[in-house]
Amino acid sequence: MKKVAVIGVGQSVFGVRGDVTLQELAWEAVREALEDAGITQKDVDISVVGTVGTRGYELMPAQPVNDYVGMTPKGPTRVEMACATGLAALTVGYNFIASGNADVVLAIGVEKMNEVDTPTSLAVGGRAGNYLWEFHFYGTTMPAGYALYATVHMAKFGTTEEHMALVAVKNHYYGSLNPKAHFQHPVTVEEVLKSRPVAWPIKLLDSSPISDGAAAVVLASEDAVRRLKVDTPVWIAGIGYANDTPILTRRPDYVGYRATRLAAEMAYKRAGIAPQDVEVANVHDAFTIAEIIAYEDLGFVKKGEGAKLIAEGQTYAGGKVAVNIDGGLKAKGHPLGATGLGMVYELTKQLREEREGKRQAPLKRYVALAHNVAGVGHVAYVVVLRR
Amino acid sequence: MSRKYVKIEGPYVESVPLVYKHKIPIQKTEQFWRGLAEGKIYATRCKKCGTVYFPPQADCPVDMSSEMEWVELPREGVLEAFTKVYARPQGFDDLEPYVIGIATLSNGVRVMGWVEPPDERCIKVGDAVEVGTKSVKDKYIIVLKLKKSCT
Repeated sequence: MKKVAVIGVGQSVFGVRGDVTLQELAWEAVREALEDAGITQKDVDISVVGTVGTRGYELMPAQPVNDYVGMTPKGPTRVEMACATGLAALTVGYNFIASGNADVVLAIGVEKMNEVDTPTSLAVGGRAGNYLWEFHFYGTTMPAGYALYATVHMAKFGTTEEHMALVAVKNHYYGSLNPKAHFQHPVTVEEVLKSRPVAWPIKLLDSSPISDGAAAVVLASEDAVRRLKVDTPVWIAGIGYANDTPILTRRPDYVGYRATRLAAEMAYKRAGIAPQDVEVANVHDAFTIAEIIAYEDLGFVKKGEGAKLIAEGQTYAGGKVAVNIDGGLKAKGHPLGATGLGMVYELTKQLREEREGKRQAPLKRYVALAHNVAGVGHVAYVVVLRR
Repeated sequence: MSRKYVKIEGPYVESVPLVYKHKIPIQKTEQFWRGLAEGKIYATRCKKCGTVYFPPQADCPVDMSSEMEWVELPREGVLEAFTKVYARPQGFDDLEPYVIGIATLSNGVRVMGWVEPPDERCIKVGDAVEVGTKSVKDKYIIVLKLKKSCT
């Protein structure tokens, strides 16, 4: 299997982007990624478009995107895995190179979620969990799915609404330092606790926003890294993945996500590292409780100790492990197809030490981790990156 | 506190509307749907390996068998998890906020349902519930009635 490096990254400004179409939004990220890699479309062997697309008017969105960004005829692949679409697309791109079928791959993640109204967007999300046996009868939504786990975490481990609010406070703080974030203002614990309930105990300020956005990543083989004279390649050290039953009543417990635990185990084994080696991570904080649970499922702390980690401030830059210091899904935004590649964008910048001041994690081992989840722990991808 | 966020509006055109309404086959699970109307909850059990499926399924991937029988589920359960849904999706936005719960029944099978009464300050993980069904709009759903009283 060939080694694979990240050699270029780009990301649009996330937010409500009523100024651009899907294609125009994708171009913002693609242009930056190609320029960052110092290449043009001619150097790319194949593009992989990751987009969920269920809120869009283009039902085959990959083709208009590929065409607009200059990737015809080298763009025959679209990837969809709900909210984990970004890292699923990265994995497909990785395999094109690892298998020797391509030298340079362009992974594009893009989503427009604000062209439909909020009840429609909530319904699309809820139906994506499990339509027939849950949404059809009970009107499940994504926040409701995560809230079911939140009430259990609270009952079993003493996690509180205040603990969850602390995650929002941290991620909004970093969002306030990120000019590409959907939310760029800080929030207080009190503001989070007073925000309106969405799916109790999850409140509005515990929730990631409905965002439009795009991110793009250029992947290259070791040969291409040499040929293109890349200064600071960031290597994909290991990828792990797993799925779980989409029928929540068939899950063994509600304290964590089995798919994340299995994906992390696979990624750590393949990368030859332990959870404690990770210095900077982007985890799937679709809701604040999800970040607390991710600390545990990724092995940063033992099960039940996630709340303590945020209460001690150990996931700020300079703490035990810097988590979501671009704002995370919570403040940077969660444009499904773009989310996972947006994590790789951020972690590549971190590993190259291109961030300034409080936005740069202090690094000794240069080990980063991205964690992207579909649904309510339905699917998880974990990617370990090293410089 | 002042708010700073990205919200860019611009001129737009409207798409040609598209309405989806699906016909979902229930031929292989008809007893389950009939049971709900009678206040009963049915699961399927594989005649070969004994695995109980809820929600019911017509095929058992464990031993590649499609020889299934219907079993009625017990009415007693314990609440494992719950949430009160305030931000309701399209199709449920004309209803009052509802509480979704997951209960483990006395035989170990888990079911989802709406918890009654929908009082999130009273409901606790571990509460005993009685399982039944009720009609909401055009369909029957499972309800998880708290055995304790909330005042």
